[in-house]
Amino acid sequence: MSYDIDFFYTLKGIDTLMEGLLVTLQLSLTSIVIGVSLGFVVALMVMSPSKLLSWPATSFIEIFRCTPALIQIVWIFYCVPMLFNVFLDPIVMGVLALSLNLIAFNAEAYRAAIQAIPKAQLDASVALGLNKIQTNVYVVLPQAIRLALPVLVTNGISIFQQSALVAIVAIEDLMYMGKMLSTETYRPIETFTVVALIYFAIALPAMYISSQLEKRLKVA
Amino acid sequence: MQTTTQDTPAFIKVRGLKKSYSETIQVLKGLDLDMYPGDRIVVIGPSGGGKSTLLRCVMGLENIDEGTIEVDGKPYIKGQGRTEKNAIDHTIQKQVGMVFQHYTLFPHLTILQNLTLAPVKSRGIPRSQAEEKARGLLKRLGLADKADAQPSQLSGGQKQRVAIARALMLSPELMLFDEVTSALDPELVNEVESVMMQLADQHMPMMIVTHDMWFAKNIATRVVFCAGGVVVEDGTPEQIFSNPKEQRTRDFLEKILHTENAA
Ligand SMILES: Nc1ncnc2c1ncn2[C@@H]1O[C@H](COP(=O)(O)OP(=O)(O)O)[C@@H](O)[C@H]1O
Ligand SMILES: [Mg+2]
Repeated sequence: MSYDIDFFYTLKGIDTLMEGLLVTLQLSLTSIVIGVSLGFVVALMVMSPSKLLSWPATSFIEIFRCTPALIQIVWIFYCVPMLFNVFLDPIVMGVLALSLNLIAFNAEAYRAAIQAIPKAQLDASVALGLNKIQTNVYVVLPQAIRLALPVLVTNGISIFQQSALVAIVAIEDLMYMGKMLSTETYRPIETFTVVALIYFAIALPAMYISSQLEKRLKVA
Repeated sequence: MQTTTQDTPAFIKVRGLKKSYSETIQVLKGLDLDMYPGDRIVVIGPSGGGKSTLLRCVMGLENIDEGTIEVDGKPYIKGQGRTEKNAIDHTIQKQVGMVFQHYTLFPHLTILQNLTLAPVKSRGIPRSQAEEKARGLLKRLGLADKADAQPSQLSGGQKQRVAIARALMLSPELMLFDEVTSALDPELVNEVESVMMQLADQHMPMMIVTHDMWFAKNIATRVVFCAGGVVVEDGTPEQIFSNPKEQRTRDFLEKILHTENAA
């Protein structure tokens, strides 16, 4: 191998990478907040007896779960402006694409969690004179959040990793900056290794926390 | 078929109760039943005969197709067709309590919180007052030390006793028990049945579905044999168990007593 490993230029460009990381975190965290809240709403829509609510919600979930995230990003980036004649800030487009994907996956997690609550508990709630809202707030919701939490965290970590895909539409995230730096310095091995390590350094502790959380919640 | 004198007004009066779960699954086919003050009714009958459905209808958990249920002479539930919502008096519904075959304690709440949730959130009783009542009830049922436990830490028998206590928190005028010991290990059945006997001693009106014929004989003032979605026969425990009039009742008792002896 005639390639001498040398991290000098990559480490000199670490500022550039940190700028990219900031964008990556911004994209992921915003999408996570949106995904966790709207995911619950979409789950409730899916489970609604009204077809008018459940049908669009179900179609939305299936589309986003059954197509590659890369296609979703590219499609939203190129087709939405052409179809609707709106031109948004690239970061906003990125958040839109990632959020929609995460909402679909989180809605599924919430739905499974709500369905895992035995129906008999709902009968008991009626027998105890709790109305629908009281039953949802005091019986269903606390259990659904507990049951769904490990999956929500896993989905959040996964969207953080998937966010690297937005580099393809020239959003200046960690991946994009890495690509740029590697071209500038002719140091692809060093640069992409450092970029990978940065993703790893954030995802690993998050993964660890999530598995601890899961253990804790199982006991309770 | 009526065993109690007609001049006392019925406490619960079920008339022409029809319930189907779909166009093809009709379960209750015009059921009539009267429960008089002081009655403890045990409902027996073959599996699938509609016993659970009857209790669920009285609890207001099912939308009935046709018929009426009255409590103390006042309309409680009225069927208005299979696809139409029942007219239901929720004030009367709140006077009925029910305990189920499957454990229904809320797993994310402690025992004490299970008992106080409905009184505090739905009846507006101050928390301190509800907790005091809850501790008193738990003590009476031999569960004083379980107040702060999680449901998962309890045995099946303890869970069902807590479920009974949870229903009693709301001071019901009628208690419904649907096979509350069926899911229990045999050695745990007794602790639950003796709590129900305690309630009987305090003259709590009850409607009980059970397969335990020995318990039925002991707790019932009246036994109702329900099959095919109607009341086939209805009488005192002595009458039903020693001298059933209907062939279907006889066949059922023969079969169940035979399997019990064999077991
Ligand atoms: N939710 C339901 N949906 C459809 N069929 C039901 C439902 N609940 C009960 N059934 C049917 O109704 C019949 C009577 O059931 P049930 O009232 O539980 O009888 P029992 O308690 O006497 O065994 C059974 O055939 C049962 O399969
Ligand atoms: Mg049953």
